[in-house]
Amino acid sequence: MDKSQQPSSFQQLEKLGEGTYATVFKGRNRQTGEMVALKEIHLDSEEGTPSTAIREISLMKELKHESIVSLYDVIHTENKLMLVFEFMDRDLKRYMDTRGDRGQLDPATIKSFMHQLLKGIDFCHENRVLHRDLKPQNLLINKKGQLKLGDFGLARAFGIPVNTFSNEVVTLWYRAPDVLLGSRTYNTSIDIWSAGCIMAEMYTGRPLFPGTTNEDQLMKIFRLMGTPSERSWPGISQLPEYKPTFHNYATQNLGQILPQIDQLGLDLLDRMLQLRPEMRISASDALAHPWFHDLPQVQAQLQMQQQQQQQQMAGYGGMVPPQPAY
Amino acid sequence: MAANYWASTQRRHWLFTREKLADIRDGLRERDKVTHSQFPLPDQRLLNIYFNQQLIKLGKRMSTRQQAIATAQVYLKRFYTKNEIRQTNPYLVLTTAFYLACKMEECPQHIRFVVGEARGLWPEFITHDVAKLGECEFALISEMSSQLIVHHPYRTLTELQTDLSLSSDEVALGWSVINDHYLTDLPLLHPPHVIGIMAIIIAVVFKPAHPGNFGNSAQSALAATMRDGGMNNLAYALSDKTGPGAPRIHKLVQWLAESDVDIKAVVECTQELLSLYEVWEQYSEKHCKELIGRMVKSKNLDK
Repeated sequence: MDKSQQPSSFQQLEKLGEGTYATVFKGRNRQTGEMVALKEIHLDSEEGTPSTAIREISLMKELKHESIVSLYDVIHTENKLMLVFEFMDRDLKRYMDTRGDRGQLDPATIKSFMHQLLKGIDFCHENRVLHRDLKPQNLLINKKGQLKLGDFGLARAFGIPVNTFSNEVVTLWYRAPDVLLGSRTYNTSIDIWSAGCIMAEMYTGRPLFPGTTNEDQLMKIFRLMGTPSERSWPGISQLPEYKPTFHNYATQNLGQILPQIDQLGLDLLDRMLQLRPEMRISASDALAHPWFHDLPQVQAQLQMQQQQQQQQMAGYGGMVPPQPAY
Repeated sequence: MAANYWASTQRRHWLFTREKLADIRDGLRERDKVTHSQFPLPDQRLLNIYFNQQLIKLGKRMSTRQQAIATAQVYLKRFYTKNEIRQTNPYLVLTTAFYLACKMEECPQHIRFVVGEARGLWPEFITHDVAKLGECEFALISEMSSQLIVHHPYRTLTELQTDLSLSSDEVALGWSVINDHYLTDLPLLHPPHVIGIMAIIIAVVFKPAHPGNFGNSAQSALAATMRDGGMNNLAYALSDKTGPGAPRIHKLVQWLAESDVDIKAVVECTQELLSLYEVWEQYSEKHCKELIGRMVKSKNLDK
């Protein structure tokens, strides 16, 4: 048992959010003063400990990586579980809203975030774990400019049978076309699709494919990426949600809607947003893409900007929210 | 089943040496000597056989994957390294281990259905109250420090199937051997790949004369062969790389020699399995049921 900590070891501060099965509070470790995020999970008499919570806790116990939010402790009390997570300042969605220029981020920050996102995804995939629910709200950012994957409630281990997955996962906007078409044999490539959507969103400040229904989501994707056919995607007509009557759109140039992106970045994005899952680049190949070759310089530049801001902020007692990194 | 075994909580927290495991159990016994002498229980392995049979009965009417039954058995073993069995209602613990394992292996069952099935099997020991199962689940998660992902040897078997060109009979027998190893302490003593390789060796070396009919367990098919000097064959095959054994065995031995697998550990596992098959002959379901029932009733553990 995690006997080391009692709920009273943490001072509960403001509420950070409410999830489907949990409430998240900011907390302070009374002994060390360290900030943490406290996720309170209530037990349900009809379900015991929620499956999503069990999945998240057990996976977080195994996955220790700098690009994945750390689970420090699990505290059991009479009728609830309290998960103690590393504190992160905000999620990527709020980060873009508050720091970006109408939601858009600068190219250096995007590159740094994409690298960290792909490192986290790569680590999950190497450990045979699918995240299945990547979206800006689940990517957490701290003051050091680190990005980490959080919320593993829908994640699953891809052990043996891969054909029994439920297809009701991933928020619609970041959902891969193969999943939308009803494929139940999806794999690691679904997380790459989500990462591609997130990359585009960081450039424009707006979701790339904000669909409202399953079909609308597919149409928004096809309008940009072109409507696939049996010729461009052998086997597509066998998928449950495929309709031969899909409006036939021609492929658009991604660069046109993303004027801010450079050629190499566009090349990587294009490889992530392949309609056919088997054509999508893997996380480890994406990390080796030439777009990341100047990452050390980009990181040095970001670090310098950050130090300058910290010096400026020191004059305000350090209580001012951090400023955009450009 | 997920994540990397080498960095796993299974390897870091749930792998014991034989001595350590014996110490832990002595410690549990020391804490309550009186109960221990008052309520004798059968050999741990016989109890495991009993629990496994109950789990299979429980899962029968639900489409439960074998892997969930295996995970449930590992949970029972882990839980009973922290708790003395005589302080628990084993029927409730095993029902809960089953319920939790089904959630983890993504074949979840409704709590009411599981309680209903369990009541059908052991009406004297399981109450209507589903909250009891919820509470027990909470205790199980807590006692296992939320370390719930279990790595099983089945994967080693399926992964090596092609490399070692195993026949479907051999894979089936290996699978049954893996099922059987959950009846021993082996899951707490050795990493899954060692067990998987042990299962392959047994399947190849002791291939029974009438394959294809070993059901869930390999006991009936293997017990006799292994006892009748089978262990010598094995030792011989493993020690003499140029020996006269069949080419299949030769190939396997060569593969083993080139791999980094701890052969000593593999041999130890094989012996453990053999001794399981020996002790199995004393198994009596009735006897286990009586002893556990008397203990639970006298101590009011079912309340």
